[in-house]
Amino acid sequence: MTTSPQNDPAVVEAASALLTEMKGVSVSLVYAAFLTDDGFDVARLPSRVTDGPRFASMASSMQALSDAVAHELRIGGSEYLIISSLNGYVIQLRVPGSLMVLSALFDNDATVGAALALTRTYAARMTGIVGG
Amino acid sequence: MGAGMTTAIKALSEIEVVSTEANNSERDVVDKPTTTVALDYGEIVLSNDEKIRMYGIPGQRRFDFMWAILKTRAEGMVLLVNNDAENPIAEMLAFVEDFRELCYKGGVVVGVSRSEIAPQPTTGEFARALAEVHPELTVPIFTLDPRSKDQMQMALLTLIVNLEMRETFGEAGVQQA
Ligand SMILES: Nc1nc2c(ncn2[C@@H]2O[C@H](COP(=O)(O)OP(=O)(O)O)[C@@H](O)[C@H]2O)c(=O)[nH]1
Ligand SMILES: [Mg+2]
Repeated sequence: MTTSPQNDPAVVEAASALLTEMKGVSVSLVYAAFLTDDGFDVARLPSRVTDGPRFASMASSMQALSDAVAHELRIGGSEYLIISSLNGYVIQLRVPGSLMVLSALFDNDATVGAALALTRTYAARMTGIVGG
Repeated sequence: MGAGMTTAIKALSEIEVVSTEANNSERDVVDKPTTTVALDYGEIVLSNDEKIRMYGIPGQRRFDFMWAILKTRAEGMVLLVNNDAENPIAEMLAFVEDFRELCYKGGVVVGVSRSEIAPQPTTGEFARALAEVHPELTVPIFTLDPRSKDQMQMALLTLIVNLEMRETFGEAGVQQA
């Protein structure tokens, strides 16, 4: 049986390092977390905006619901999801080829395009680490 | 997790079930490949303009925000308890507490699953434990196998009859049932 990502110290450490680096690249990044498909926190940026474990569970529910909608409408697997709000937006996508998800909250100073590109880049970097 | 909620919705639904299964990373807790992370959705069509909408929820407490969303819309609930779990009676009592309003509306039946694997505790013991904490609640409790459409329909029917009695006779109707 393989170790789950949240219980694998090497994965947790790599994920934390990636998030720290991501924060360094974009000042608009307010919060970001890697989580498992079934809603366990793997790593997260320190933050007061949310309780990490709770957010991880919510993010996994959102991911599964958007996959279910994409399946229902027969538009293929969902590539990313965006929640756009008055004071910021959430961009979330799967770490390609893995059973993890990257979810990131940006303030409105970043453009959606830039934020999406950054989130994608770091999800792909995670694939490079855990394999895919 | 593992009580058979997803299995039950699949057994009952007349439409293709909407499911939100994700890889289960807690195989040490319950050894099954996937787990529900948002909801299961199924329907039973009663007539042209009436249908039963069934939502299966994730049982793990970390998804209690989904419980909050779904319980405000629910008329009733079939509470499935895995009798093969560590302490099934405590699990039942915890869920009755979390879904207190629904229970006190007469909207709950308890289905004890996996009882052929774990025959103890018996439904009598479940009933006594519930009566001790909630003497004023009358809850039908039976063993069932969520894989069986017939048995799930029986549970659902009991729930519906309870709710209808409640509607017709008020609280007393359910108390005497
Ligand atoms: N032997 C036995 N297996 C059951 C019973 N109820 C459910 N199962 C099995 O246990 C698993 C439950 O999985 P699932 O429906 O995903 O559980 P959930 O987490 O409550 O949604 C399935 O493989 C079912 O076939 C039961 O009463 N007896
Ligand atoms: Mg389930």
